[in-house]
Amino acid sequence: MALLEVEGLVKHFVAQRSLLGRALAHVKAVDGVSFSLEAGKTLALVGESGCGKSTVSRLVLRLIEPDAGTIRFDGRDLLALDAAGLRAFRREAQIIFQDPYASLNPRMTVGQILTEPLALHDLVPPARRAERVAELLRLVGLEPRLARRYPHEFSGGQRQRIAIARALAVEPKLIICDEPVSALDVSIRSQILNLLRELQDRLGLAYIFVSHDLAVVKHIADHVAVMNLGQIVETAEADALFAAPRHPYSRALLSAIPLPQPKAKRTTVLLEGEIPSALNPPAGCRFHTRCPFVIERCRSEPPALLADSTGHATACHRTAELPSADAILPTAGGFSPALAKLVAAFSQKTEGRSPAGVGIQSAASATK
Amino acid sequence: MSASPLIEIKDLRIRFHGDDGRITYAVDSVDLSVANGATLGLVGESGCGKSVTSLAIMGLLPKQSAEISGAIRFGGFDLLTMPDQTLRDLRGNRLAMIFQEPMTSLNPSFTIGDQIIETILRHRGGSRKSARERAIELLRRVHIPSPERRIDDYPHKLSGGMRQRVMIAMALACDPRLLIADEPTTALDVTLQAQILELMRELKAASGAAIILITHDLGVVAEVCDEVAVMYAGEIVERAPVDELFSAPQHPYTVGLLGSIPRLDYRAEQLATIEGMVPNMAQPPAGCRFAARCPFVLDACTRASPPLVEVSVGHLSRCIRAPLELLVS
Repeated sequence: MALLEVEGLVKHFVAQRSLLGRALAHVKAVDGVSFSLEAGKTLALVGESGCGKSTVSRLVLRLIEPDAGTIRFDGRDLLALDAAGLRAFRREAQIIFQDPYASLNPRMTVGQILTEPLALHDLVPPARRAERVAELLRLVGLEPRLARRYPHEFSGGQRQRIAIARALAVEPKLIICDEPVSALDVSIRSQILNLLRELQDRLGLAYIFVSHDLAVVKHIADHVAVMNLGQIVETAEADALFAAPRHPYSRALLSAIPLPQPKAKRTTVLLEGEIPSALNPPAGCRFHTRCPFVIERCRSEPPALLADSTGHATACHRTAELPSADAILPTAGGFSPALAKLVAAFSQKTEGRSPAGVGIQSAASATK
Repeated sequence: MSASPLIEIKDLRIRFHGDDGRITYAVDSVDLSVANGATLGLVGESGCGKSVTSLAIMGLLPKQSAEISGAIRFGGFDLLTMPDQTLRDLRGNRLAMIFQEPMTSLNPSFTIGDQIIETILRHRGGSRKSARERAIELLRRVHIPSPERRIDDYPHKLSGGMRQRVMIAMALACDPRLLIADEPTTALDVTLQAQILELMRELKAASGAAIILITHDLGVVAEVCDEVAVMYAGEIVERAPVDELFSAPQHPYTVGLLGSIPRLDYRAEQLATIEGMVPNMAQPPAGCRFAARCPFVLDACTRASPPLVEVSVGHLSRCIRAPLELLVS
């Protein structure tokens, strides 16, 4: 059974009210989203600003209340939970935000930040809490002595490690990662991505990974859902989606990512125009104003999200008629043999070194 | 490299004097040159000095706190010793700049038309009417739909991608010879980024201007640059034609960067990481500044600062272990 099952999720925000408080306009942030997630797996929600991916992640945690739909977590109906039930649920599902500068309280030491969830959920007796904090810090590759420091004393990557440690404190089954590496420099980004994967393998965590960067998603996700203006337009196993994206929007997103390959031969699908507003999404298919394959039917009739026998689902009237995606896919690239060896040597030699406490500790010392 | 580059930076050093008397060595012995019509990528992570270098070219560093030495030659002048008045004539005219955040670099209380027209009148003179016509033409060139109407819009009415187009139109107002673009697409969504990069390529082909593109995104570099300079802790650690840099990098930092990016064209089981942290620039280390994080470090690396030497034609590296292929063969 899936760990998380989301069915027909809807959230409209009121954008404008009349003098008497009647709603005049709605932002249709999430409009009929369904997906499921197995324990220990990663689902990536991908899309551009305003597509509703962050709203979905907040709805799943019930940080905001949906207007319609159901969310089942571990067999329980989340929307039926009372305050006590909700608190118990929060032990099992946590979130990491994009900006590690804004998501840690600057007036608390790292030790206090990590002790708070332990005390709140009464997970560890007070006498053992310092020990557990040390264990958590080791788990994310930081030295336990850093517990006495304040967030401003850390770099962005280290702060994101602290945010991850805080999420792990309650031993959750699900962590929502909302653009966890977007604010970080490239070399730090790879440290955090490696850490997230390592923690997943070790602790059996499920992730919902919210991101706009398909290269990062390809690296980390098992399953991908591409969102546009509040709806999922394509969803599939990550390998299937990256090998043969079907929806014109997924193709455009994929081909828009600049490749670190100077002579890459591929066609970029340039979308014309701006991203339409979720305040007033286009009728019919919500992508039709930017779609290079638009036909008359797309302007009036919204396409349903239909799955084939492998579970690869696409919401497009023209799925069957679209040309092959081969031209927009990156040619198999990667490194020359010499460079691959050099990169491997670089990684091997840096493993195990942990200057400034950023190195990842060995598995044995961290999970006893 | 062409015989007479459009801009040539020689031994640029920038240090900042803090209020508390602390000195930060932001940029050290940077040599760069860009030929007419070429695009140079300036790559590096936060705090490596890439933006400070570009601000020095534009003469936008605060005079009270920034101590600058070296030379920046542009069209027969040294920008660093030039009187302010002459620099003001060049800036926005022959030298133009696009910033990362188009919302904060446009004035919210004037229409976009006013802001473009102001630039044209300041440098070109002429009537307000002809400047307005040129502004409309510029907005059309950057593909803003119905520019005759859009010209009277305020910045808040435009989306992020549109604002960046307006910034580009403004930068192009006086046909600059050098355009500095500081992370021009970082704040934009990927599909908009692709549009802006395409626009920059198109405009470069049409105008023949040289571009210095500052970015942390190696994908963007691969797509638009001819030559790349990688900066680390205030120094250029590697400089190479773009193909060379991606196929045979000669500095361990570049190797680490290339290994650490998740890629669409290749799935690595484990990404490379660059352990440790950038050195404190108030007290830069004596030898190689990357030594503390470098897996190939030798004792000699920490003793003296390595010079930037040519490994092959046009390919320079600040690493005593280059050529790096020898380390793994």
